[in-house]
Order: sequence, then C-alpha cells, then structure tokens
Amino acid sequence: MAEGPDPVDSMLDLMRRLPPTNVEQNVNALIQICPDYADDLLGSVDQPLKVKTDRATGKDYLACDYNRDGDSYRSPWSNEYDPPIDDGTAPTPKLRKLEIAANEAFDTYRELYYEGGVSSVYLWDLEDGGFAGVVLLKKAMTPTSPDEPSGSWDSIHVFETVERGRQAHYKLTSTVMLELVTKQNNKADETSVLHEPEKKASEQGWKSSGEITLSGSMTRQTEQDWPVHEPTSHITNTGKMIEEMEMKMRNLLQEARSFLSRDIQDLIIAQVYFGKTRDIVYDLRSMDDLEKARRQRELQKELVGFIKR
Amino acid sequence: MSSEDRVQVAASFILQSPPGEINDVLNDVRVIVDDDAGLEEGILPALREYNIAQFTTVEVPGEHHQTIISEFARVPDTEEERYLDPRSKISFVFNHLTLEATDPQSEEPSEVEPQRAALDSAALSYLNSHYHDGVVTVLAMSTTRFTIQIVSNKYNPSNYWAGRWRSHYEIDFESRTIQGRVLVNVHYYEQGNVQLSTSNDSSISIPAAVSSLSPASSASKIFALIEAEESRCQASLNDAYHEMGEKTFKGLRRALPLTRQKIDWDKTMGYKLGAELTASNRAFGAQPR
Repeated sequence: MAEGPDPVDSMLDLMRRLPPTNVEQNVNALIQICPDYADDLLGSVDQPLKVKTDRATGKDYLACDYNRDGDSYRSPWSNEYDPPIDDGTAPTPKLRKLEIAANEAFDTYRELYYEGGVSSVYLWDLEDGGFAGVVLLKKAMTPTSPDEPSGSWDSIHVFETVERGRQAHYKLTSTVMLELVTKQNNKADETSVLHEPEKKASEQGWKSSGEITLSGSMTRQTEQDWPVHEPTSHITNTGKMIEEMEMKMRNLLQEARSFLSRDIQDLIIAQVYFGKTRDIVYDLRSMDDLEKARRQRELQKELVGFIKR
Repeated sequence: MSSEDRVQVAASFILQSPPGEINDVLNDVRVIVDDDAGLEEGILPALREYNIAQFTTVEVPGEHHQTIISEFARVPDTEEERYLDPRSKISFVFNHLTLEATDPQSEEPSEVEPQRAALDSAALSYLNSHYHDGVVTVLAMSTTRFTIQIVSNKYNPSNYWAGRWRSHYEIDFESRTIQGRVLVNVHYYEQGNVQLSTSNDSSISIPAAVSSLSPASSASKIFALIEAEESRCQASLNDAYHEMGEKTFKGLRRALPLTRQKIDWDKTMGYKLGAELTASNRAFGAQPR
C-alpha cells in the first residue's frame, strides 16, 4: 500500500474542527472506527476532566489519561486505583512524596483562584532520570434556575523537567477548556426599550427565546529554567509557571469584555478568543445600516467634489 | 465495525462541520475511514442533509445571483433533485457532492407572484442594509404563506476563522404571524478550537392594518419587524458576552486571589512542607530498603 497521510494526523485535524462540546462523543466514535489508534488519540486529544471520588478519603479527584491504567484511575490522595488493580503504575516512593506535597500545594492554589472546584497532580518517572507531571484543575458552575448561565473551566498543565546541576529545565504545555452557556427569554413587555414604531405595533404578540453556547480549548507552551535547592523547589517552580500561564490564558479568553465598547478600532485590532467570535458575527450582519453609510460616503464625495469646483 | 457503520460515523462528523470547512472534514474522514468506495456510496444523504440544513448557496445557471438550496425550494415530482430559484423562476438539477447546478428550466410563476416579488425586493434592500455578504430566498408556500431564508457566510481560513448567520422566517398572512429562527455559528481556531453557537426563536404578530396595505408596503412592514427582531437578537448577544465576562467568568476562576496578590509559593509551602520533605528524603536516602 502506498504511504498515505497518517490517520492520526487526520483525526487530530478533525478534532480541531468539530465542536468542542462534542469532543467526548467524537473521540469515542473515532476509537470505534480505528481501535488501533485509541492510545494515540486518548494521549493527544484533551477531553473534559471527569470528577471521581476517592473511596478511602472521600475526597474528589480528577480522572484523565495520565492517571489511567486500563479502566482504572489512581487517586492522588490515597494512591489507590479505582476499580482496584494489583499492579497499577505508580510513582516511585520518592516521587510519590513529592506528588503528595504538590497535591497539597495546588489544592491551596485551587482554593485561592477557583474558590471551589477540584484539583489533582500526577507525577511519573522518566527513563532518563527526570520526571514529568500533570496539574489538573476543574471548576463547574451549575445554574440554580434554567435562566442562569452555566459554565465550566478545565485546566490541563503537562510538564517535563530535567535537572542540570542546581538548575532545572521545564517544558510546560497548558490547555484550558472553557464552556459557557447562556439562555435568554424575552416577552413583549421588555421591548419597550426599543424605539422602532413597528415594534410597538406588535407589542401584544412578541416573544423570543435563545441560547448562546461559547466553548473552546486553547493550548500554549513555554520552556523555562529555574534554580533547584531542594526537591520541593520543583513545586514552587512549576507553581509559578502555571500561575503565570493561567493568568495569561485567562486574560486571553476573557478579553471578550473589551469588545463591548462599540469602538470600531477595538473591533479591528483585537485578536482574542471569545471576543473574536463576537467580531465575526458583526462581519456577518451589521447592526448599523450599511446602505445609509454607503449613501453618506457618496454624499461626502459629492461635497468634496463640489467644494473643489 | 462494518463498512455501513463506519460510513454512518463519517456522516455524523460531516453534519458537525463548521462553516466553510466541510471539504477539510471530508478529507480527514476519507483518510480515517479508508474506504473510498463505501464512502462515495453512503455519504450522499449526509451531504444532502448538510447542504439543506446549512442553507448552502449556488449560482443560478445563466443568472448573476445565488439562491439557497432548501427543502422548500424542491420542485415536486421530478426524477432528479430539482430546486427552484423563485427570483428568476428557473429550476435546476443540484448535485450535493459537487455543489453544481445544471439543466436550467423555466417554471411558471405562482398566482401570488406579486406579493412574493414584493417580499423579495424588500428582502434585498434589507440585505443591502444589514448584511455584508448575504443571500436571501423568498418562496411562496400557498396564497397566504411565505418562507424566507437568509444566509451570510464569511470564510477566512488564512486567519483561522469562519462564520455563518442563518435566518428562517415563516410568514402567515392569515394567522398574522411571523415565526422566526436565527442561527449563528462561528469557528475561531488559531492555536485552539473556539466555537460560538447561538439559536434564537421568535414569534411576532403582524399588525392587522398590514393586510390592507399594498404588496410593497406590507412587505416593507414585514421586513421592519424582521429588522427589529434581528437587531434585538444581535444586541442580546452583546448582553450575553457582557454577562459571561462579568459573572460567569469570574465565578469560574478569579483573576487574582482575594488577597489581590499572586501566590508567594516559597512562603505558602516552601518552609513547612519543604522542611518535612527534605527531612524524609534524607531519611529515605540514608536507609535504603
């Protein structure tokens, strides 16, 4: 058979195009078609994190491909697999100590920034003597009424570290997945703010309901060197890097707010995630009357011509 | 997995294609399914469903305008799939795979053509005022019912974004109602995959006075109602962004901790935990098991 394109590349391209809200369902469908590539796919497509409860401690933890062994997931709190397995992969005792400390530190981080939610840190030994890890954070907002907005934030920070003397080199890949859903219901009595006389005429019979879903994931990478004085330096170092990265990504995602000013300049310059999607809507349909603007330009041209004459 | 099942999954991917990316999705699906013959045979219904659901447009043969491929524009009882362009009254055969329109034929105008044409002309001037690049089709469904579809697409793959606005209206002069639905999809995929999907359903009453007006005046009244509703719908998207930015976003993750300072990592865990860990580590190193 001729060397065709790599199916994994096509699968990843497909997942970058299909709606992020359907990622789980679509990954499962791909695995059904190509079971041979299941590991490649599960290892490279970020999916929303699942919350599980540690049977031993009663504490919630996050499940992803990094704490999975077969169909079981390891809890960072008790180090136990659920469902239990005999020879599940686990970090060496030395690394497990660091893992315990990292889980405590990022639990504090989670409380300070997320005021709720769940965090988990998993570490694993690398063959060249270094180690790697993943810091997971998840917060979901469940609406108390159907009209309230709902949303979820999932962070996946994967890092690798190599020690060089008293320095360590870190490579961090961060993915943030966000989903925001807003429902709207309007009835005639709320339209009085609109000044169109036509609207007034139909005030007795007008209603409208809508739903807006913004969902997405973005990935960023960074590499940095930091000093290492003691094993826990790795936690402070990755902690600083992750805090910085989340701050950057949150700003990038949130810029949506700055778009709310109707300033056209803002709309053209701005290049950020959710805000960008809003701009594109204005590229499809204009709130202002385009024909009026065209006529105004024509008039201006005529005037200029008139003055020149 | 059987060949039919694989094609079924491929079809589900195609139906989820973001605006303007169906060919990219098809290319991916071809490599993944790796069965061109099976795909070619089984994928047509999905492409047809996609084209109709997404208001796919096509240049009318011999005309200089586009029309929307719609179930409502299907010419009944024809062997091949034939669609009507109500503006030019030309029907054509449409190929859902190649997106080509062929074999143009003239069709008889319906008896409500004056009212339909008036709505069409009001629709075009509305499009001119509010859409950068829109296509509209006005179809007569009966003597009192009309279907209006609007689509506006912008594809900008070199800057990693694409968007589609679809509006669908059912005008019923007898029950004096406009049933409307607006769907907006945006895909922004520079170093990520962000999608906006909105739907808005509305129900608007047509004032009684409208029915006594001339076709041209009643058509412009109808579009004044549609314009007000679409502008309201677009404005409410602004409100939703504002709410998401102000409330939902903050509720998920704070910009800074309550202390308004970044975490002092050395302080929060360095001393206590660090001391413990260093101690236990030494102990661990000193007493190999």
